[in-house]
Amino acid sequence: MEAVVVMKLPSFKSLAPNAISIASGHRSFSRVRRSSSLSVASSSATIATDSEPVSLGHSTRKDFRILHQEVNGSKLVYLDNAATSQKPAAVLDALQNYYEFYNSNVHRGIHYLSAKATDEFELARKKVARFINASDSREIVFTRNATEAINLVAYSWGLSNLKPGDEVILTVAEHHSCIVPWQIVSQKTGAVLKFVTLNDDEVPDIDMLREMISSKTKLVAVHHVSNVLASSLPIEEIVVWAHDVGAKVLVDACQSVPHMVVDVQKLNADFLVASSHKMCGPTGIGFLYGKSDLLLAMPPFLGGGEMISDVFLDHSTYAEPPSRFEAGTPAIGETIALGAAVDYLSGIGMTKIHEYEVELSKYLYEKLSSLPNVRIYGPRPSENVHRAALCSFNVEGLHPTDLATFLDQQHGVAIRSGHHCAQPLHRYLGVNASARASLYFYNTKEDVDSFIVALADTVSFFDSFK
Amino acid sequence: MNTGSSLKALASPPLISTSLRPKRKSFPNPKFSPKTIRCMLDSNINLNFGSNPNPPTHDFPVSYATVSLEAPLKTTTTSDKLHLLVSEFRSLTEPIDRVKRLLNYASTLTPLDDSARVPANRVTGCTTQVWLEIKMDEFGKIRFKADSDSEISKGFCSCLIWILDGAKPEEVMGVRSEDLSVMNVGVHGKAQSRVNTWHNVLLSMQKRTMALFVDADVAHRERDRPSHDLLFGYVNGSYMESSSSSKLPDYSISLLPLYYDFTI
Ligand SMILES: Cc1ncc(COP(=O)(O)O)c(C=O)c1O
Repeated sequence: MEAVVVMKLPSFKSLAPNAISIASGHRSFSRVRRSSSLSVASSSATIATDSEPVSLGHSTRKDFRILHQEVNGSKLVYLDNAATSQKPAAVLDALQNYYEFYNSNVHRGIHYLSAKATDEFELARKKVARFINASDSREIVFTRNATEAINLVAYSWGLSNLKPGDEVILTVAEHHSCIVPWQIVSQKTGAVLKFVTLNDDEVPDIDMLREMISSKTKLVAVHHVSNVLASSLPIEEIVVWAHDVGAKVLVDACQSVPHMVVDVQKLNADFLVASSHKMCGPTGIGFLYGKSDLLLAMPPFLGGGEMISDVFLDHSTYAEPPSRFEAGTPAIGETIALGAAVDYLSGIGMTKIHEYEVELSKYLYEKLSSLPNVRIYGPRPSENVHRAALCSFNVEGLHPTDLATFLDQQHGVAIRSGHHCAQPLHRYLGVNASARASLYFYNTKEDVDSFIVALADTVSFFDSFK
Repeated sequence: MNTGSSLKALASPPLISTSLRPKRKSFPNPKFSPKTIRCMLDSNINLNFGSNPNPPTHDFPVSYATVSLEAPLKTTTTSDKLHLLVSEFRSLTEPIDRVKRLLNYASTLTPLDDSARVPANRVTGCTTQVWLEIKMDEFGKIRFKADSDSEISKGFCSCLIWILDGAKPEEVMGVRSEDLSVMNVGVHGKAQSRVNTWHNVLLSMQKRTMALFVDADVAHRERDRPSHDLLFGYVNGSYMESSSSSKLPDYSISLLPLYYDFTI
């Protein structure tokens, strides 16, 4: 009880140098002993010594003003990063700077502002290319988001390369954005979708995937890191297997690019997609990485300005990639700000971000799994199994939406509830919905502690109504 | 929890003051004080459905209203009820109190039979599962039952049913989701968020009321029934086209303003 108070007291600034960690005490809110009070041991609050370095979470929080606010009377604890990340000041400044000083259309005007906007826009493409180690920035096509990038591949590559009887391999854990476009394309082409299910560890069954690959396989479209299970797929191996039969591989890297080093040359994937808004960048911009030769052979996705070379009344000739796939005026400021986000992330270092998140992830899993009646989906962490820094879970007898509503209203803790755009996966897991707490590098162990205390309180609240 | 308005005793769907539970335990978290939750129960404007002759059973003692309260209650209209509920929720300024109130109402909702928990009865667009069963009784009144896998959603349903069960079709159609925005919990006054259960359940009630009404109308076309063209001129605040009176009007459900009726 006091622990709650203690945690509320220090503001971020006072927390930073002397991190106060609340040891998970004895919590009794099991439904058997409903009348017993929730007691979080308050005695074991420990003060970190000065020699302990400030965590990445503490040192970066200052860049995110949004995190320093009260929500519903409590300090905001933002744990919905898998849905979208917050944006650091540097990104907001880049956006502001563009609109304030050089807003202009790209690739069109010869005037100063347009030239400047074009330079910055193309610089952002280079930054993104470098960030994922593409060999050439022309392999980066800007889209509105990852969803549009997948649709681009589905409509452009898929419609012109898939025939009746061809097979596209997916997993049941894909986000809707990596299922629905393929359903549409399979209806149009007669290609067959095959789904890899989960194994006993609750991760996509990689052996099954391997066996599924045959000469009929034309494409394997899978996530890198699952937004629900927190598991990751061995993309390098999958690519080798797929290429052996001449199939292409599309990687949905929405949940990996923001959190770890992703090297497209090392992965050797044919296509890779991600969204800016999950990696500290603005909404409205995402990208497709595609190998040059593939992009070059693909027909346009949308028609309009920018993507053509010459237009006659009866036909047009198309520009080279990436312009071919970027019809119309792009989200210029947002793209430039994505470049700033990439700079910001690189400034910290993706390895450092990943290492910190691995630690946070372990902490989250440990704390959450210590609560009674909590079921966490996805693999158990171990020496060789590293989970992404998120946990999708359910508390027995409590709807995740009720839980999320109470966490928000009473504790200012933001988590997601629902099916997280992965309905087939939830169906497979035998539930309609789950709650999900997802972290990013600006989260701290204190955030996790606050969440756990709040969750325990939420459970006891709803139990009292049963 | 209720402010001292004159509506105090009326200010909740189940209308007579009674403790939900004989004893409420105290919570250790200082954030929500162990206030007594008052759930008001009434036998006149009852929460159980007209089609159900049995009063709802409660696992807590119910003390009934003073006689003086009964008379006005009997004449309470849909819009009176709506006002009562709105003023009740308006008086609950702490979100926690709204949640508690909703959970109280949830506990008074008669569960739906499994046979009614079918896909055809699902209310789409909610992050929780909500089932809605709707019938027209022999007096042409609309009878609703609903259920959810979420307690908070159940609370919403309970309130909506209290307002609309037994109402005439035009009364059902006349409620606008904006009217309910003050009762939101967790969506911060956004009447038309796609996670807003109030909005989705209300729209579903209206959509299906209209479908029922049109069916009934077709069945009774030959008899002397007033045209319902005017009735559905406005649905949920939006104008609906009605075709010429010579042929059956096309009350296409897609004309309803289902802006956010997407499953997420
Ligand atoms: C794994 C995964 N794929 C795809 C997406 C879709 O991203 P967007 O909505 O930005 O297109 C998401 C976002 O939720 C995701 O987590």
